[in-house]
Amino acid sequence: MGVDQGQAIRETLLKEIGKCRACRFCVDVCPAYQAAEWVENMSPYGRLQILKYLINGTLNKDDPLVYSLYTCLQCGRCNRVCQAKGQDLEVSNLVRLGKYLLSQGLVKGKKSEKV
Amino acid sequence: MKTVYWTEWARGPNLPRSGKTVLLTARMYQMLPYIMQVTGLIASAKPFVSRSGFGAMVNLGNRIMGDKIIRLKSLGSKNIRSKSKKILLGITNALSTIGQRPAYLYEDEPYSGVLLYDLGLDEYIEEHIVKVYRLLKRHNVKKVIGVDPHTVFMLKEIYPRYIEDYDIEVKHYLEILSENDEALKKSCKKSLENEFVIHDSCYMTRELGIIEQARSISASLGITILEPGNTKLDTACCGGPIEYAFRDLTEKVSTTRIQELANISKNIIVECPICLINLSKYEKEMGIKVWDMGELLLEAF
Ligand code: SF4
Ligand code: SF4
Repeated sequence: MGVDQGQAIRETLLKEIGKCRACRFCVDVCPAYQAAEWVENMSPYGRLQILKYLINGTLNKDDPLVYSLYTCLQCGRCNRVCQAKGQDLEVSNLVRLGKYLLSQGLVKGKKSEKV
Repeated sequence: MKTVYWTEWARGPNLPRSGKTVLLTARMYQMLPYIMQVTGLIASAKPFVSRSGFGAMVNLGNRIMGDKIIRLKSLGSKNIRSKSKKILLGITNALSTIGQRPAYLYEDEPYSGVLLYDLGLDEYIEEHIVKVYRLLKRHNVKKVIGVDPHTVFMLKEIYPRYIEDYDIEVKHYLEILSENDEALKKSCKKSLENEFVIHDSCYMTRELGIIEQARSISASLGITILEPGNTKLDTACCGGPIEYAFRDLTEKVSTTRIQELANISKNIIVECPICLINLSKYEKEMGIKVWDMGELLLEAF
């Protein structure tokens, strides 16, 4: 996995996350968020924030918050209600791409490439 | 012939070993007893709550690639095993009533790699997809009939992203049956006059757009379908996709859903092996019965 591809994925993710209008329509419909009893980092919107902060270096990959990405069911309910305009990737795909970034060690943390 | 757990069901229908159209179970129904055991193993080891859990997640992907994860012995799973056989028999019986007799790849049948995809392990997935595609090509497969939405999604939507000139036609068996509604109705041996509430699968509806098919087939079998509040494109998840790692959360998601369904009817139809295993856990406790569409097809034909 080259640095360039890592950079490209990070840029794509930041660009797409930037299209989020923070309307939070996705939050209430997320089954994982409902099951986690309304903890916002377990919601689609929360997962996008975690991804954003992982990419800009505020969070590192060893942070417990990162596990929220893995609690996504990939059920796609968030995509149905999302009000972001001109998206190239749907919310659940952004979360999945975030997991890819992590599995490739493309964010800061132990044994990770420097961002 | 090598005996592998996923071919046991196929002894009865004796499907041909080669043909342009194959039925691809991708071992999903056959894996159900094993998945349950593996889940227990992982939950007890709790590798995902530790700070170094991430490495465990990647290793899990590796192990699935090598099939090691499903080579473990199953525990107390006779019921599920016989249920999964019945489902696959029901599907093949229904297909044969409309004149479709696909081939089956028996011991060569591959797993689609969907868990690797969900985990974002794209490097492994690429390797896996190439392997599966080559295998299908070696068998001269032109068309695949899938029995579960996750496999159909992978082969239809994800595989073409990795394979240039991907030329395999992929359909779910519900699509094929519903195109032959009339023939199905005529050859239905036993009308299943009963009311069932339907639980749509997330992948089936939102990713594949297969919604009305299950309803029209049910009508051909004499079944009255009741709709829950969250249905069709707004269906609610059974919780299954994260069970391998987050058991408590899965249980909360599935309890919420099963309660919504059980409030409408004690008879529930599902159309996906993951939904089946996650929702049927509550059968005893709630006095309900969860039927896979394949079981109903077996009753009818
Ligand atoms: S796809 Fe993931 S984030 Fe979106 S609603 Fe489902 S569980 Fe929540
Ligand atoms: S629904 Fe879409 S735009 Fe609204 S908060 Fe969620 S991700 Fe952002």
